[in-house]
Amino acid sequence: MPKCPECDADVTVGGDAVKGEIVACPDCGAELEVTETSPLALALAPEEEEDWGE
Amino acid sequence: MSLDPADLALVRGLVEIPSASRDEARAVAWLVERMRDRGFRSEVDAAGNAVGEIGDGPTHVVLLGHIDTVPGIFPVRIEDGELVGRGAVDAKGPLAAFVSAASVRLPGLRVTVVGAVEEESPTSAGARYRATLPAPDHCVVGEPSGWDGLTVAYKGRLVAEVALERAARHGAAPGPTLTEEALAVWERVRAVAAARGGARAFDRLDCRLEGMRAGESDGLAERAWLKVGYRIPPGAAVDEIERELRAAVTAEEGTSATVTRAASEEPVRTERTSALARAFVRAIAEAGGTARTLAKSGTSDMNVLAPVWRCPMVAYGPGDSAYDHTPMERLRLEDHARAIAVLRSVLARLARGDG
Repeated sequence: MPKCPECDADVTVGGDAVKGEIVACPDCGAELEVTETSPLALALAPEEEEDWGE
Repeated sequence: MSLDPADLALVRGLVEIPSASRDEARAVAWLVERMRDRGFRSEVDAAGNAVGEIGDGPTHVVLLGHIDTVPGIFPVRIEDGELVGRGAVDAKGPLAAFVSAASVRLPGLRVTVVGAVEEESPTSAGARYRATLPAPDHCVVGEPSGWDGLTVAYKGRLVAEVALERAARHGAAPGPTLTEEALAVWERVRAVAAARGGARAFDRLDCRLEGMRAGESDGLAERAWLKVGYRIPPGAAVDEIERELRAAVTAEEGTSATVTRAASEEPVRTERTSALARAFVRAIAEAGGTARTLAKSGTSDMNVLAPVWRCPMVAYGPGDSAYDHTPMERLRLEDHARAIAVLRSVLARLARGDG
């Protein structure tokens, strides 16, 4: 089971997760991005891209 | 991926009907008919929005895109695989994609498509009316994010007017002119906003001088007027920014200064981890992309709906928002087709309860 890179808690991610999906750490609430699916790897989610439009 | 001829006719037909803000009735009536043709229960609601509903399942999804545009029309045409015309990107393309994607009735789902009026006006009357209705389970706001992007944050907005007035003086009288006083007020206002800082552009409080009149006198009083526009990042609030503005607007002895709020929207940020956002990420992956999440400095009907409905919400739609409000609006038809496929996949996932 992948660990939260922020607090080391176990994070449950569905088997059908895809790269780029963002999940919340159940312990610290950090937003984590699925960076690899096989094997599952998580990293702190990057901030959103900035755009000046609507 | 090629665009179905019926979906091309829908988006082109909608773009071909001019619908500048507060003059949307013809486009609304046309879209209501097109939705009826496709099996929606459709009507014009009390605010003048085009509304179509399809399906009767327990999960309710609202797809709300604005049908009005900024003014300034130019010939509608297809050029190098792109639909060119006012509103192609902002936001008739996203709205037409909603209708195309929702035309297939799905068990378990009730989908309401709203072509909202007056998004480009400070009134946002269409979305404000819909916000008085019960919240759906999920809401997608139609704005251009690109077929592989989804928007989860918008800055807020405050527009305020500052009026200065003093008794008329001779032009050779000592001391600053009222025009100079007005410019000094603007410099103080700008400095206060800049002092808030912010690591990246989205986190900063934007403060612009959007209009100015000065040098006016009727022989009894001199007057100057400033229009100050803010773009407010999530974490700050309209009232707080207005208080800072009022504190910064100080006048010389003998000059009166008044501040009036002209328009406002609170900033908004929605959850990137919601079932709806997850459905988009998976649908975009299924279509061969990697989802991008966006934070935008403009505003949208999400600013109106999210604080009231508090349901999972993103903004999505084909098109490049760099064309918003420009006389070069153009929508790549292949991207429009991809966005329809992504939206169909999202709706199918929500129907299955598979975020």
